[in-house]
Amino acid sequence: MAKRTPSINTNNLTAVQLMEIDACTRCGECLNWCPTYDAQDQPAGLAPRDKIKRWKSYMDRSYGLRAKLFGPRPVSDNEMQEFSDDLYYCTTCGVCGTVCEAGINTVELWESIRANLVKRGNGPYGKQNMFPKLIKEYHNPYMKDQKDRLLWIPNGIEIAEKADVVYFAGCTAGFNQQVLGVCTARVMNKLEVPFMLLGEEEWCCSSALVRTGQPHIDDVPRLAAIHNVEALEATGASTVMFACAGCFRVATIDWPRLIGRKPKFNVVHIADLLADYIKQGKIKWEGSLNNQTITYHDPCHLGRHCGVYETPRIVLDNLPGAKFVEMDRIREEQRCCGAGGGVKAGIPDLAVGISSTRIKDAQDVNADILASTCPFCRRNLGDGRDSVYGITGTDFDLRDNPENEMQVEDMIVLVAELMGLSTKIKSQMEEE
Amino acid sequence: MDYYSNISFTVMTVIAFIAIAMFLYGMFTNIKKWSLGSTGYGLEPSNGSIIVFIKTLITQIRKEGHGQPFLTTFVLDILLQRRILRRSPLRWFMHITIFVGWMALFVFSLMMFAVEIIEMIGISLPHALHPEVLRDTMSLPNDVFSYILLVGIIIAIVRRLFISDVRENTIAYDSVFLGGLTIITITGFISDGIRNGGFWGFGIVDSTAPPAALFHVVISLLFCLAYIPYSKYMHMIAAPLALLANKGGE
Ligand code: SF4
Ligand code: SF4
Ligand code: SF4
Repeated sequence: MAKRTPSINTNNLTAVQLMEIDACTRCGECLNWCPTYDAQDQPAGLAPRDKIKRWKSYMDRSYGLRAKLFGPRPVSDNEMQEFSDDLYYCTTCGVCGTVCEAGINTVELWESIRANLVKRGNGPYGKQNMFPKLIKEYHNPYMKDQKDRLLWIPNGIEIAEKADVVYFAGCTAGFNQQVLGVCTARVMNKLEVPFMLLGEEEWCCSSALVRTGQPHIDDVPRLAAIHNVEALEATGASTVMFACAGCFRVATIDWPRLIGRKPKFNVVHIADLLADYIKQGKIKWEGSLNNQTITYHDPCHLGRHCGVYETPRIVLDNLPGAKFVEMDRIREEQRCCGAGGGVKAGIPDLAVGISSTRIKDAQDVNADILASTCPFCRRNLGDGRDSVYGITGTDFDLRDNPENEMQVEDMIVLVAELMGLSTKIKSQMEEE
Repeated sequence: MDYYSNISFTVMTVIAFIAIAMFLYGMFTNIKKWSLGSTGYGLEPSNGSIIVFIKTLITQIRKEGHGQPFLTTFVLDILLQRRILRRSPLRWFMHITIFVGWMALFVFSLMMFAVEIIEMIGISLPHALHPEVLRDTMSLPNDVFSYILLVGIIIAIVRRLFISDVRENTIAYDSVFLGGLTIITITGFISDGIRNGGFWGFGIVDSTAPPAALFHVVISLLFCLAYIPYSKYMHMIAAPLALLANKGGE
């Protein structure tokens, strides 16, 4: 009889991660916090603890003492596929790691096991397998021509030839939720902060590939990281500014790892810059929220992953006429909106299920406005709001909010409005 | 009257060495298994030499950036288990009583074992360290920490019996762990009770003291040491290492 081979290998897992699998004390704390486990009515298979236990059992069956003595025991294809699917029911929000009493770095673990499963032929999930091809071919996930990177810029916005700041707009603000790019640019102009854009040289940050375990496919994220970092360094700017939590996370954590060194520029989020200007009294407001209640959803990629909690709060709390309140589950204990980790693309119903819970958190504190600082949160919380309020149809960006319904908005749009700037995007302006 | 010498010391020593050997072999297999991983994110898996794990762990612990200093993690998160306290004071209390009780009794037993061996070899010790004297001195702390351990175990059992969430999520893997702990603790009380005719002796005749003590020692050695690398007890080693590697965790 031929000697059986182990059913799994250790591709993409570090030696320390393999140890972390054995560190789980099975305390069950993570079950109290996981948003997908909660949104799916708590099936055992989605509990972070259970995912660790299953991978541990596969490791032991393949490489444990018994496997050594009597040969590996197989893991059936069905079992493996089921495990893989469960592992993709996860937004990589990381709250399980925050509360883990063994200090396991769960997000890195999920991403590493995902990559292992992709190589094995089990992952990714649903439409997520389109990401590598699209991002490699188009350098953005929306199949747009790179030449159109700057099409969103309306008349009157000044882009510097040479400046100390580059605004890395990102694909979503550039192609999909252009209001965010437009508002960011207008606010920067008004504050007289000259900035450059990379234009065609800006490639997708490839966040989706890393989060869904596909970083190795054609090496897209690494090549994109090298390209972007080199292009940004070539501008000579000392600061690169982001208004997207996903890109910001990649630039802060993934770029240095992918290129093997620290980039030669500082990475800042627009909230940091605005908070600074507010503290110095340099922002002139021209409107008011008229005592509306506003609350803030921490994007996991900005907060928990990168530690930016304070500056968005400073900004929102200082908006004229704003009554700022906090929801349940904030800062490091924040409840994810449900969009991350490829869930929005791969399992859209799950994403909306999770965001509906977040909307309810905001309803509980009677929020009129639910603000965030991430295009993906904005989109998905908007969808959650629609599902909770039973609203159907029309493009999120273009729809007016009926009076009695909660407004879901990005911080930068609110700031622009209250600074008296237009929040209209090009197509809306042209229509007029 | 001393603890070990009534039960055949040779038997004890042999069992202790078997337990240590089993522990070391188990640890070796685990470290071998972990060493199948790579030395860093996105790198190719390694050849499985045990150096890989050790090197990767040290590199990660020493890496600068994100996270708190080594000593903070060691004191606050490993010894005082702050991360559990943040989440649930009751679970923290349970965990810390089991941890403190277990560690103290483990250290006391090691001390006793050491002085007995030293005596056996014929090296003379200061009076206070004579096995019999030391045994008497340690009798009170021994009792105190045994009860601390017992309190923790009772809380753990009660949680599993009466909190439905905990009960439903308990699997054999958890029960074996708790069962082992319970047996060690109870046999400890009983063997001690028989020896000094106390409550826990349940009136069992004195002559059963040596075999009872032997039973307790054997199963303690097997559970406390030999079984660790092959079971859920492994978290006692891996969780502190994970905390150190991740600089206290997120
Ligand atoms: S990262 Fe978030 S969604 Fe994924 S298992 Fe952990 S808590 Fe659940
Ligand atoms: S919180 Fe951490 S230690 Fe506790 S069950 Fe979850 S993964 Fe395991
Ligand atoms: S979209 Fe926002 S909250 Fe949601 S996963 Fe991303 S960063 Fe987290």
